[in-house]
Formats: sequence, C-alpha cells, structure tokens
Amino acid sequence: MKGGYSQPSRARLKANDLFSKWTFLGPTTLLLLALLAYPIFYTIQISFSELNLATFAPKGWVGWDNYKDAITDPGFLNSLKVTGIYLVLALPLQMVLGFGIAYLLNVEWKWRGLVRALFLIPMVVAPVVAGGVWKMLLDPLWGIVNYVLGFAGIGPLNWLGDPNLAMISIVLIDTWRWTPFIVLIASAAMLALPKDVFEAAAVDGARWWHTLIHVSLPMLASAIGAVFVVRWLGAVKMFDIALAATRGGPGQSTNVVNLYIYEEAFRSLKFAESSAMAVIVLVLTMIMTMIFLRTTKKLEDRF
Amino acid sequence: MSTSTLTLRKRKIDAGRWFRIIAGVAICLGFLLPVLWMISTSFKLPTDIFTTPPKIFSTFTMDNYTSYMQQADIGRRMLNTVIVAIGAGVLSLTLGTMAGYALSRLNIKGGATIGVLILASRGVPPIALAVPMFLVARNLGITDMHITLILAYCTFLIPYVMWLMRSFFAALPKELEESAMLDGASRLATFFRIIVPISMPGIVSTLIFSIILAWEELLFALILTNRNAATIPVAIAGMAADTENGAMWGALTAVGTLTVIPVVIFALMVQKHLINGLAEGATKG
Amino acid sequence: MPSRRAILGAGVLAAAMLATAACSGPAKESGGVGTVEKPVEIRILANDGYAKQWQEQMVPEFNKKFPNIKVTIDGVPYGDQLAKTMLELTAADPTYDIVMADDPWIPQMASTGALLDLKKDAADWTDAGYDWNDFNAAPLAAGEWEGVQYGVPLRSNMLMMFYNKSLYKDAGVPEPTPGLTWDDYMSQAPKLVRDTNGDGKDDTWAVGTYFTRDPLTPTVWQTIFNANGGELLDGDNKPAFNNATGVAALQTHVEMLKYAPPGASTWQFTEPLEAFRQGKTATMFNWGSVYKGTAIDPKTTTLTADQVGIQVMPAGTKSSGAHRGIWSGAIASRSQNTEAAWKLIEWLSSSEGEVWQSNTLGVFPARTSTLDSTPEHEWLSPVFAALKDAYADAETGKMWRPRLTNSDEVQRILADETAVAMANPNDTAKALDDAAAEIDKALSK
Repeated sequence: MKGGYSQPSRARLKANDLFSKWTFLGPTTLLLLALLAYPIFYTIQISFSELNLATFAPKGWVGWDNYKDAITDPGFLNSLKVTGIYLVLALPLQMVLGFGIAYLLNVEWKWRGLVRALFLIPMVVAPVVAGGVWKMLLDPLWGIVNYVLGFAGIGPLNWLGDPNLAMISIVLIDTWRWTPFIVLIASAAMLALPKDVFEAAAVDGARWWHTLIHVSLPMLASAIGAVFVVRWLGAVKMFDIALAATRGGPGQSTNVVNLYIYEEAFRSLKFAESSAMAVIVLVLTMIMTMIFLRTTKKLEDRF
Repeated sequence: MSTSTLTLRKRKIDAGRWFRIIAGVAICLGFLLPVLWMISTSFKLPTDIFTTPPKIFSTFTMDNYTSYMQQADIGRRMLNTVIVAIGAGVLSLTLGTMAGYALSRLNIKGGATIGVLILASRGVPPIALAVPMFLVARNLGITDMHITLILAYCTFLIPYVMWLMRSFFAALPKELEESAMLDGASRLATFFRIIVPISMPGIVSTLIFSIILAWEELLFALILTNRNAATIPVAIAGMAADTENGAMWGALTAVGTLTVIPVVIFALMVQKHLINGLAEGATKG
Repeated sequence: MPSRRAILGAGVLAAAMLATAACSGPAKESGGVGTVEKPVEIRILANDGYAKQWQEQMVPEFNKKFPNIKVTIDGVPYGDQLAKTMLELTAADPTYDIVMADDPWIPQMASTGALLDLKKDAADWTDAGYDWNDFNAAPLAAGEWEGVQYGVPLRSNMLMMFYNKSLYKDAGVPEPTPGLTWDDYMSQAPKLVRDTNGDGKDDTWAVGTYFTRDPLTPTVWQTIFNANGGELLDGDNKPAFNNATGVAALQTHVEMLKYAPPGASTWQFTEPLEAFRQGKTATMFNWGSVYKGTAIDPKTTTLTADQVGIQVMPAGTKSSGAHRGIWSGAIASRSQNTEAAWKLIEWLSSSEGEVWQSNTLGVFPARTSTLDSTPEHEWLSPVFAALKDAYADAETGKMWRPRLTNSDEVQRILADETAVAMANPNDTAKALDDAAAEIDKALSK
C-alpha cells in the first residue's frame, strides 16, 4: 500500500517485512518450544539422575553413570545394530517401491483415485492388528502363506521363528505398511510436475527410462529428499510392529532400539537408564539427519 | 509425419498406459491381501480362525461386530479418535504448511537452523516424551482431554508436515509470488490466495498422512487419557492383549476393519483435490 | 535457535509446578460408603481383559449391596498397565481409588508408599465375618510384601497342565495323573508326535506352551526348577538358578520345542491355546482360566469337556508344579474414598462375592471354602480340584515370580536369556550364567 503520506522509513519497512516473515515460522516455533522444551529437559535431567518412582521426580545426581550403563549394556548395543540392519534393508526398498508405484499410477484413468485411496489401507490398520494378522498369515502351522508355498513344494518356512527370516519378515511387514505413505506423497509430487514435459518426451519417442533419469528424477529431487527424511525419522522409531509380530525375538534378532527402550522404561520401570538411552538415540538420530539433509541439499542444488 | 506412424505411436503410448494401469492395480491388490485376510477373519467364529489348513471362508458370523463392539465402547472411542485426528491434523497442517513455506521461500535469518532443529526433535524416542508430558498435563489438570492429545500429536506431526510442504513449495516457480507481491498483495494474502490453491495435491496428501498418523497413535493416547478422551488404538491394544480366556482375534480384526473405513472414505472425498494441481492451476494463474 | 536459558526456564517452571503439586496433598479421609443424597464415586484401574466384564456384571451385583457407591472401571492393555498404574498412583490426588496388581507388581507399587495397609488401615471398616484365614496361602501371599497385606486376590489363576484325552488314547499313551513326573512326560512325548492321516507328515504334536521372548516364558522352566526343589534367589537375593538343577529345568523346556508343532518357537499365550483347541497338541502348559473356552464353549474350541483334562504340571523330585498368577486388588493410600474402595474389594473377595464371581463369570476363587463348595456349573468341579493341588504346590515350592521391587526387570532378564537358550539349545548353561550375572548386577544397585 503506497499512501500519499511520507514514505515509511527503510527500517520500518524492514521491520514490517521481518514481522510478516515470522508470522509464518513464529507460531510453529513457539508452540513446539512450549510443548517440547520441558519434556526434553526432563529426559536429559533424569538421564543424569536416579528416578524416584514415588514421585517420578529425579533424586540424586549420578553423573554419567546411566550413560556408562547404557553403552556397556550388550542388549542396548545389539538393539542399535539390529535397528541399523533393519533401516538399511527397509528404507531403500520402500523408497524404490513407493516411487515406482507412484510412477505406475500416474496415468489418467477413471479409477485412479479409488486405487490411490485403497492403497492407504495398510497404513491405517492399527499396528497391533497388522502385526497379528501377519503373524497369522506367516505361521508355519495355520498360515496361508506357507500353505500356498507348500503347493510349490517350498517350506514350511518358519518366517518369524528363524533369526534371519524374522528380520526379513519384519522388513516385509514394515514395507507393506509404509510404502503407501511414499506412494501418497510421491503421487502428489508427480502431479505437481508440468504434464507437458512428459507428453513432449513421449511424443519425441524418448525411452521411458531416459525420461525418468533426465526429466522426472531431477524435478522430484526435493520431494525424494523430504520423503526419505520423514520416512527415516519414522522408521527409527519403529517398535510396534516388532512388538506385535516377534516381540523382538527370536533371541534378540528383531529387538530394535525403540522396543528395547520401551521395555526398559515401561516393563522394567528403569526410566533413568532408558532416558540415557533415549538421549543417545536422539544424538545419533540428529547426526544422521544432518548428514541426510546435507546430501539432499547437495542433490537439490545439483539439479 | 504420416498419419499411420502417428496412430502407431498413439497405440504404443496406449499400450504403455494400460500396462501401467494393470501393473498398478495388481500391486495394489497384492498390498490388500493381508487386509482381505483381516476382513475375512472378522467374520469367522473363533474356532475357525486358527485351523490347519487355513479356511478362507467359514461359518459366517456377525458376532465379532455385534457382541464385542458395545463391550469395548467403540462408538465413543471412535468419536474421540475422529475429533483428535482431525484436530491434530488440521492444526499441524496449518502451522506446518506456513512454517514449510517460510523455510522454502522466506530466507529468514536463523530460520534454516530452527527448521533443522524442529525436524531433529523427532529423534527423541516417544517413550521419553510421554512420561514428562503426562506429568505436565497432570499439573495443569488437563489429562484425559481432547486438546491435550491434539497438542501432543502436534509435536510429531508439525515437523513432518513442515518438511514435506517445504519440498512441495520448493518445486513451485518463484515468479508466482513475485508477480503477486508486485501487485501489492501482502505475504499472507499471496500465500493463501496463490500458493495454497496450487499446492493442493501436496497439502491434501500431507493432511491425509497426518490424520492417519494421529488416527493410529497409541502411546500418548494410552498415557494421557483415561476414559473421556480415550481413542480407538487404546481399545485395540487392550483387545490384542490376551484376556484370561485367550485372544479375541475375531473382535480385534472387526475393530481393525471398522477403523479403516472412515479413513478410506475421507481419502476418497478429498481425492478430487489431488488432480487440480499445478498442472492446471499454473496455466490459469 | 532457542536459547538454552529459555529451555531451562521452562523446565524450572514446570519442575516448580511439580514440586508444589507433590506437597499439597489433601488431608486423609475415608469418605464413607455414601448415602442416597450423597453417593460416593470410586474408580478402578484394571486390565482391559476384564474391565468391561466387571463394569457390566460385577458392578451391578455389588450395587445390590452398596447402592450408594458408584463404580467406574477403566481398562489398560496389559503391557502398559504397570507403568500407567505407577504414574497414576504418584498423584497427590489420584484418579483411581483401586488399582489392580498382577502377581509380581505389589512390591513395586507398595515401595512407593502409595498403597493402603489393608489389615491395619482398613481394619475398622472390615466386616467381622471377613475371614482372612480362609484364603489359600499362595494366592493371598501375592498381595503381601514385607509383612504387610496390600492386596487381596480378586482373580486367581495358575499355570497348569491341560491334556487331550483323545490324543493320548489314539497314541496308546496312559493319561497323565498328578503323579506324572517330568521324566515320564518327556519319555512319552515322542510317542505323542504323530501322523494321523498317513500322508507322511506329522499332524499332531505332544506339547504347546510359551517358547518366545516373553516375560512369562521362563515361568515354565521356573516351575520345573521349583518342582525339583530349586529357588530362583537365595536368602540374600543372590541368583541361585545357574546350577545343575536350573540347567536341567531349562533344558527340559528347550527340549519340548522338539515335540511341539512347527513355528512353536514364536509361541506365547494364544498360539499354544489355539493349537490345543484345534486338537493339534496332546498337552498344553497354560493358565487355568482358559479351561472354559477350551473345553466348554463350542464357539472357541473344537474339543469337549470329556476330552480335556486339567491338572498340576508334572512332578520333579520335590513336588508337582503350578506357577502362580494372581490379580490382587489394592487401594491407593491417597484416595479420598478408601472406605468405599475397601467395601468393594471386601465384598468381591468375601465368600459371597467369590461364589458369585466363580459361578457367574467363571473366575477362579482363592478361598478354601469356595473351592470346597459345589459349583453351579459341573465343569468347574475338576477345575476346582486341580486348583487346590496347584495352590498347595505353589505354596510349598514358592512357585511365583520373585518378590522384589524390580521383579519385572528380573523376569525380563530371564526372558531374554531363555530366548537365547531357545535359539541355541547347546548354550543353556551359558544363558543361565549370563542371566545370573545380569540379575546380580540389577539387584546390587
């Protein structure tokens, strides 16, 4: 608004500009600060203390003891390793599948909306139900998967009872559950691409993979990065499926770190020790997230 | 170019299109198989659920839907879940979308750091947050209320929304708001009148995602509510836990099936916004 | 970036709020049992497995006697119940007047000072006819810690042996009796794995029970261990299970996997139950409470009462076995309605309440007089007989989880190492040594 009055000073313009910018970021920052500051502070505080279970307040500073216990706890270290294996297997699989399916579904078709909506269902089924249903499906005695494989002369495979297969089964269930999320966001990102790019490429007779690598992927770089980071942060926290399907077993082979911390805190009531573990996981996650963000940024800049 | 080569090319494109449709539908069906098993289990008698060999169909019963439903207070819990999921979804979508826009376009000093910190706050295992949140809520006297759960859910939804929306905004051409701002529109007005409408596919998808996450959240719901605001996942977890008489798989799959329906209906309803994206919006604007 | 001072400030503020709340506890009042004009309201934090059943059937029955006590029961899933209960109990003005404690939980809850001493604090309100001595010692002891009675058994349960008489007959193996030893049982087990339809593949098996990584899995070999005279911890709370008796007990449990159906290594509570109900296993070690759904109710089982036997688990050198699993009702000491809360617990655990509950809901009683009475349902009679043996065995062999403030932690360590032994059957001794070392560390803190 340019009034007939005196020109507003540069400083004031700048202040107004700054204010309008912060209207966007301010509310979120304040809300999250208000909601998260104390819980995170509390977690850090009790990770250096003993916890009085009569009040759930810290009693007595114990320094780094809880951290020492955590990093010498073979169960905790093993759970970090298990989580690493799970992430390395699950994340790439889900990303490729998710974007692949989104690409397949990105055609004009009357029923496309219905297919996309149905694709959401695995994500909506409550984890305990999903874990239980998969357990029924994979059971060597009454599971339909082994029953069908039996006709092909395979099995019965002890999907959840064999240490190696159990991890694969967990990855399988998790992929079933979360690939739909990637499809959902990837579809939206593809819709935002200008259509004529594809049409032009098709009319030019460019091979589809040529279009994919030189046209689609660069334009999707930022979406791929964001989806990956969101999925990574979700996957690090996975424990419900492992709890429902294998209870972390057999042995300790699917005992992911969040399941371990959950059981330490809620089953063994070792809140102080589990807080130290939570802080360690937080720091590790932050470091990895920073690395991913850097990589994403580099990729975005390159295209 | 002769007409025959054009038809040939068109046919080729058509063939590719149908291949993609058929492959897409086939994969979708594959993903739905466990869901179909869940639905078929929900219509079985308990004694038919764990048979060898497995029975796909058995004596049809509605027992699981009728008898257990009232028992577990599903109606009120469903309503609570709807309130909390929509409340948390909409609130975090509004705040997160604006924050995402700030991060992708506004070049705020220190903004990038805040963005990264907000995202990284997701690294805290939820179990560590649930207990202190409960202690605070109890001291404020707001346990077992919808708003408490909505706010708790915002802590994990907003970072996701913010980051996803940031990537959608990053894909938009910069000229969009520049021309609007030159016309003298304020930032907020530009955002709501120009940016939001053309980002509909991203916004709708992110909203669906947020609502689903809030819809199925268990840990916070368990700790922060007792009765008045208790949600479906808590009921489901209770049913999944073994009773003294065995597990109630029939009832559990029935509730599992019921909780899926509202979300699918919601997704179908908002689907139409998934098509009106930039492709058309941009050329009009 | 948010300044550190801001975070600290918010933290201090919240911590201050916590502190004030913790100090401002109300003066203790019993609250009476209510009048028509001024009814009393009590709330119970229970397990989801029975919260609804109680709300709909037990509460109306209770209200016939105490119409002015309104009762609300909230259910929590088992896995999170202990943590949730601890959190709720720590409030200055607790939401719940009665909390339900699973067998090993009483020490943990009582150690915070949040539970009422029932024999002392509730003595004034206790009916003269309420006979504490009528309870079987084993179930009553679940509610006791360091000489104080904090809880009363409201839903009793025991880990017992179920057998399928038809499968025993088909296999030509004599039916189990309470005198059956573990040696007999294990030597008969191979004969109970059979191919009944002649297709070359086994289709019925000898046993089903807990095998996976679950806190209840070790209870199976713990019972074998106890039946052979072993005790998990010695008088100084030092691990006393990493010895020949312990290894033999765990070895027996691990060996059962050989005679169990494929996939049994992932089994916890439900799977062996469903397999048994489908007639797939000849025996099952599981909680007695599943009897009705296993032998009586055609909706849940393929078996009939004639086919299903129930008794104590096989005998070791000292006695037969049964592992205890009691839900005790306890009262929050800071509750303002302690008297009304006690009236409910008192009624439900009185002879009258127990008879009603076992006849109507099929819940197992803890009183000798109830077990000696003739139940309304015929099927309860053999169950009551087996329960009596089970209580006696549990009492002599101390067949329960450790009575410690960190009982669940100990049981979880045992579960972890049992899972290791299941996966590596040659490492049972090492698994028990590891468990002993970890438990020693946990207990010396």
